[in-house]
Amino acid sequence: MADHVHAGKAFFGRSVVSAEDFTKDEILALLDAARSYDRFEDGTPSFQPVPATLQGRVLGLLFFEPSTRTRLSFESAMLRLGGSVLGFADARISSFSKGETLVDTIRVVEGYCDAIVLRHPKEGAARLAAEVARVPVLNGGDGSNQHPTQTFLDLYTIREAAGQLDGLKVGFMGDLRYGRTVHSLASALLHFDVDLKFIGPENLRLPSDLRGQLKQAGRLGAEVTQLADAGDLDVLYVTRIQKERFPDPMDYERVRNAYRVDREALAPLGENLKILHPLPRVNEVATEVDDLPGAIYFQQSRNGVTVRMALLDLILGGRAGAGAS
Amino acid sequence: MSQPRDYRLHEGTVIDHLPVGSAARALELLGLPREGSITVGINVPSPSQGQKDIVRVEGLFLEKHESDRLALLGEHITVSIVRDGAVAEKTVLDVPDRLLGILACRNPTCITNEEQVQTVFLKQGGFPYHFRCAYCERVSATEA
Ligand SMILES: [Zn+2]
Repeated sequence: MADHVHAGKAFFGRSVVSAEDFTKDEILALLDAARSYDRFEDGTPSFQPVPATLQGRVLGLLFFEPSTRTRLSFESAMLRLGGSVLGFADARISSFSKGETLVDTIRVVEGYCDAIVLRHPKEGAARLAAEVARVPVLNGGDGSNQHPTQTFLDLYTIREAAGQLDGLKVGFMGDLRYGRTVHSLASALLHFDVDLKFIGPENLRLPSDLRGQLKQAGRLGAEVTQLADAGDLDVLYVTRIQKERFPDPMDYERVRNAYRVDREALAPLGENLKILHPLPRVNEVATEVDDLPGAIYFQQSRNGVTVRMALLDLILGGRAGAGAS
Repeated sequence: MSQPRDYRLHEGTVIDHLPVGSAARALELLGLPREGSITVGINVPSPSQGQKDIVRVEGLFLEKHESDRLALLGEHITVSIVRDGAVAEKTVLDVPDRLLGILACRNPTCITNEEQVQTVFLKQGGFPYHFRCAYCERVSATEA
């Protein structure tokens, strides 16, 4: 624990571009900090009332492409800590995008705020912004590359639901090839003693470099096309399969029905299975699954707020400055 | 019949042990021909490689960014600097772990293809080299 507290200080003033930039201790420190914002009353989650540690601080939200969930989650986190937000939700309605370079936009906006959340359609945008900005930059998604706060909240959700991260069998289902959330979470889980299994169609199998990485670490449990062949699972992480990946619409229809989970498909996996989904879902998870005790995707979405609260507080030095643990 | 004269350099550079077929690309990378005589050997017998290509350029001395690019063409490429008819310095080209500003990212949606920014690529493993873009994080093979 002492290591985690120390590691928590490593966030102060730091940009968050990729989950891979963080050590295991740093990630655990963040997850521990996030827990302090959660409160459970009679099994119902709520937010722990916290002092306005970020009062007077301003978070800039620069969304060059829309992502309502990510934006509202960051906004909620900042407001709950007593801070304020400014920015734009879509570059098409902002004069910022009119021919101005990203670097110039960042240099202007850093003068208005204490940290910047950047969502941008081009891969590498957050890395570049973090290099030029004098305030910390938090990557809210750069094209198909990284979305580190999603990875952190996924880890947090699994850890809180399963009690720990070590010893788990985690299955990923859906688009394993292009799914950014799958790649980042699988890489981050390599910090822990986990067995990773992958369930998806032949044409959307894992990219070879990630498969190699998992194999080398001895964590590649199974790669199968059917959920029924995956064996035991503690966690099932379902992702959306996008239509654009299939040149033939017929193939898409066939695949999307094959990778849809309902109560019948989940029954053999037992009651303790935790089901996650980064949302939004289309039909990958039948609504009848929502009432299962293990269906925690809405909780997962809500956890995005507590994890982002912890991250903002650590980065902007809200409580670290007060010396609280 | 008399053999042509030996194309020895007086002042210039010999790029040797190029993989077969890469001499033309080496000339292109260096923006040659410019001034100065150039001799190119293709499929030249080599005890160590079987066959190799070789380029000799009178009056040329490589800048670092040029030798970094040449290094991508193969392993064990040597560059000899000739002064006054003799080899003054010989180096085996080495690909640096970080390539700064000498490659463009192949990913069309990489931020480096939109903004004015020096590219940074990180070498992954040995020859044939793959590089990871420090911005978009994509790994790609590179034929220099
Ligand atoms: Zn790139």
